[in-house]
Amino acid sequence: MTAVEPRSDSTVRTSKRTEILEARPVNLDGFVEEWPEKGLVAMESDFDPQPSVRVEDGRIVELDGRTRDQFDFMDTFIADHAIDVDTCEAAMATESVEIARMIVDPRTSRADVVALGRGLTPAKILDVVKLMNVVEIMMGIQKTRSRRTPANQAHSTSAKDNPIQVAADAAEGAVRGFAELETTLGVVRYAPLVAIGLQVGGQVGRGGTLTQCALEEATELDLGMRGITAYAETISIYGTESVFVDGDDTPWSKAFLASAYASRGIKMRFTSGTGSEVQMGNAEGRSMLYLEIRCILMAKGAGVQGLQNGSISCIGVPGAVPGGIRAVAAENLVASWMDLECASGNDQSFSHSPMRRTSRLLPQMLPGTDFVCSGYSAVPNKDNMFAGSNLETDDYDDWNVIQRDMQVDGGLRHVREDVILQVRNKAARAMQALFAELDLPAITDEEVEAATYANSSDDYPDRDVLADLEGARSVMDRGITGIDLVRVLERAGFGDVAENYLKVLRQRVSGDLLQTAAVLDAGFVPRAAINDANDYAGPGTGYRLTGERWEELKKLRHVTSAENPEEEVV
Amino acid sequence: MTTANTDLTAADYPLSVNRPDLLHTPTGKTLDDLTMDAVVAGDITAEDLRISPDTLKLQGQLAAAAGRRQLADNFTRASEMTAIPDAEVLDMYNSLRPNASSAAQLEELASRLENTYSATTCAALVREAAQVYAARNLLAEEA
Repeated sequence: MTAVEPRSDSTVRTSKRTEILEARPVNLDGFVEEWPEKGLVAMESDFDPQPSVRVEDGRIVELDGRTRDQFDFMDTFIADHAIDVDTCEAAMATESVEIARMIVDPRTSRADVVALGRGLTPAKILDVVKLMNVVEIMMGIQKTRSRRTPANQAHSTSAKDNPIQVAADAAEGAVRGFAELETTLGVVRYAPLVAIGLQVGGQVGRGGTLTQCALEEATELDLGMRGITAYAETISIYGTESVFVDGDDTPWSKAFLASAYASRGIKMRFTSGTGSEVQMGNAEGRSMLYLEIRCILMAKGAGVQGLQNGSISCIGVPGAVPGGIRAVAAENLVASWMDLECASGNDQSFSHSPMRRTSRLLPQMLPGTDFVCSGYSAVPNKDNMFAGSNLETDDYDDWNVIQRDMQVDGGLRHVREDVILQVRNKAARAMQALFAELDLPAITDEEVEAATYANSSDDYPDRDVLADLEGARSVMDRGITGIDLVRVLERAGFGDVAENYLKVLRQRVSGDLLQTAAVLDAGFVPRAAINDANDYAGPGTGYRLTGERWEELKKLRHVTSAENPEEEVV
Repeated sequence: MTTANTDLTAADYPLSVNRPDLLHTPTGKTLDDLTMDAVVAGDITAEDLRISPDTLKLQGQLAAAAGRRQLADNFTRASEMTAIPDAEVLDMYNSLRPNASSAAQLEELASRLENTYSATTCAALVREAAQVYAARNLLAEEA
């Protein structure tokens, strides 16, 4: 019970200080008490199962207190596909505290903790990470993330589904450093034009950025197969059987889909996160993190290379309960520890408090993850069709300063205004030429000019939406593919953009981007957890922000010259 | 194919840089054939930008060499699926959704995978799903 009066009682006099505190943005955030029986608890629940495993005749017959006849389909899939039968009994016999210390201790190699992790059940993994505080969790992420060099991913969307805006913001995002760009739609029928805008803009800003368009599974796969997008991510999985079925899928259908993407040479990761099951009304009385660990093991069992997790669109749920943001960091750790690429959230509006938004970000940004944000909004949040991100365009300079303050690589950099204007303008002109060649509704010079200098969709002339939707339909009806777009760009005088796009498409033939945590560097060399494997082994090892990249990140919008304090460094 | 006997190691990755000699499209082109000139001349179609089953097997070797057993298995299934047309792959996925297919329909799907496409590991996944769906009441009623 609370000893203070409810704040709505206006008859009680409050102090001046309380008035100020009441007005602070953090008090607009929602906080709730835990309710473990309903799964409204981050990671410490008496209702979670105790770890156990039993193997008979080369098969797991008991998992976390349930025998095979009691298994739901998650148990079955995890027992049969995720857990290493040969090592699980020995791994499970290791004390949880010993495993937790191995994760933190730099003298135990990543390879050793990953190997041990292959034999653990969901409840045992939970038992291990429950022993770790948030700094230890960050130590674990630093060591276990699969790719050595951290990266970042952007959202580029438009409240008006304006493909020119998406292209210009994608170009700016790419030149600022995002390795992946993601879009989605308000009006789904706009998808082909917006996905084209994202791809073209991305290749203008920095050749080799990878793009995706988040849509329902079949359409997303279709755009990928046509070569209009380069990867996919919106393949949702859930930690309880009932919610999984509500999502109209099973671990087997999703595993089949994973192979379908790979069979077309298209990179793909699943998506899951704490809080989704309780939000969808059926957590079966388990903690959020326990259910998320089941998702992580399901993803591993399916053989998908990576996972977008860290609560994602459900961040309000763990964010409202005690220890919730610690649990979110823990789920990123478990995905990394299970040897999956981790695109680690920070992609949804989360708090009214700038301080809280930043503190939520640090457990991923400081240790580095494969993608620190799985959607930093490269458009103002009001244009973000994923309902807003934890970071947006207004935060670019703050992000760059934090990178410089902490000497941490968050995947971005400061870029001079003239360069940004140049790539935005070029992206818009490339779209103008492409639309003309394809007989799509014309893009005017006024729109190109607007795209060059715009901040949000308000700064663009309105388009004829019906004509655009007709054009979008014709792109699909005519069977236009990535290779057609390359040809048109080349013909229209954007040879370098066409060349970049072709190089991205050629990657599908090699399959290199299918390996864990693969991205393309500026020279179109695939970097994955094979040739850029994380080799962190304590101070002085692993990824260090040094050399040319550190010099790049020392630059900000305003830095005073040491030689002449009257001048700024350009 | 000669590639079947190659035992790749981490040093071979990325194949596009280190082992382009092993790569070809399903239409028999090499990476070097996929030039802008060929695109402009209309000699490259979307078919030429697909991954071949052999390449997926090579990537499977790399995944296995990195200790990623499940990823390698995924590439094995993917390698089998390259033969299946896009629309049919989507149909197959849809029939694996919960309550979408009866036991007989799933068995028919498994047989088609096995007999039409020699997709034996994919067929095994479908049969496994059928067993679990039966136990968890996720099969459609028999038509």
